[in-house]
Amino acid sequence: MSDIAPAPTRTPVRHARTRAWLVLLLAGCFEIGYALSVGGSDGFTRPSWSVVAVVFFLLTLYALSVALRTIDLGIGYAVWAGIGAVGAALLGPVLLDDTLTPARAGWLAVIVAGVVWLKLADRPPADGTVVGGSP
Amino acid sequence: MHWFYLAVAVVFEITVAVAAGKAAGFTDRRWTAVTLLSGAVATVFLSRALLTFDVGVGYALWTSIAGVGITAMGVLVFGQRLGWSKAFGIAVVVAGVVGLQLSGAA
Repeated sequence: MSDIAPAPTRTPVRHARTRAWLVLLLAGCFEIGYALSVGGSDGFTRPSWSVVAVVFFLLTLYALSVALRTIDLGIGYAVWAGIGAVGAALLGPVLLDDTLTPARAGWLAVIVAGVVWLKLADRPPADGTVVGGSP
Repeated sequence: MHWFYLAVAVVFEITVAVAAGKAAGFTDRRWTAVTLLSGAVATVFLSRALLTFDVGVGYALWTSIAGVGITAMGVLVFGQRLGWSKAFGIAVVVAGVVGLQLSGAA
C-alpha cells in the first residue's frame, strides 16, 4: 500500500533487472498453471479446478505487474505469454489429452530462442560506453 | 459476432498489460482493480470467441494482435524506447506462439 521508497540510485539497476526477470519467469509459470487449470475446469463447470484457476489468475497478474515495474511492456508481455504457451504445450500431453508433434516442438524452440534473445537485448542503457552494441 | 467477441478480448488483454504496468506490483489499488477486471473480461470474451473460432486460430489471432498493440502502448503510453533488437525478439516470440497454436489446430 505505502510504497514511497525513494527512487533507487543508478548502481543497483543490474540487480533489480535480474530480479525482475526472475519474477517475470515466475509469472510465466503461474500463467502455465492458469492455462492448464482453465483447461481442466471444463469451462468453469468443475469447482475445484475453477478455484485453482482463479488463484493462478491472481498470482500470474500480480507477478506480471511486479516485473513490469522494471521490464518494458512489450518484452514483458511477449515473454509472459511465450512461457505460458511453452509450458502449456509441454505439460498438456502429460496432464491433459494433448499431443506434442514435431512441428509444435519446433515452434517451442522458436519461442524459447526469442525469450533468450529478449533477455540478452534487455540491458539497461549502457553505462556510458558502448551504445549501439549488439546483444 | 465472433469477430466482435475477439476484438473485445484483444482490447481488454491490451488493457490488462497496460494496467498491470500502471499497478506497479499491485501497490496502486485502482490500477490493480482495472488489471483484474480486464483480465476477467478478456477471459470471458475470448472463451466466447473460441466457441466459434477454431481454438488455435482464435488464440493465435488474439495473442499476436494483443502483443503488437501492447508493444505499441509501451512506446506511446510509457515512453519506452523500442530498438530493432527488442522489436525483433518480440516478433520472434509472438511468431512462435502463433505457429504453436496453428500447428496445434491441425
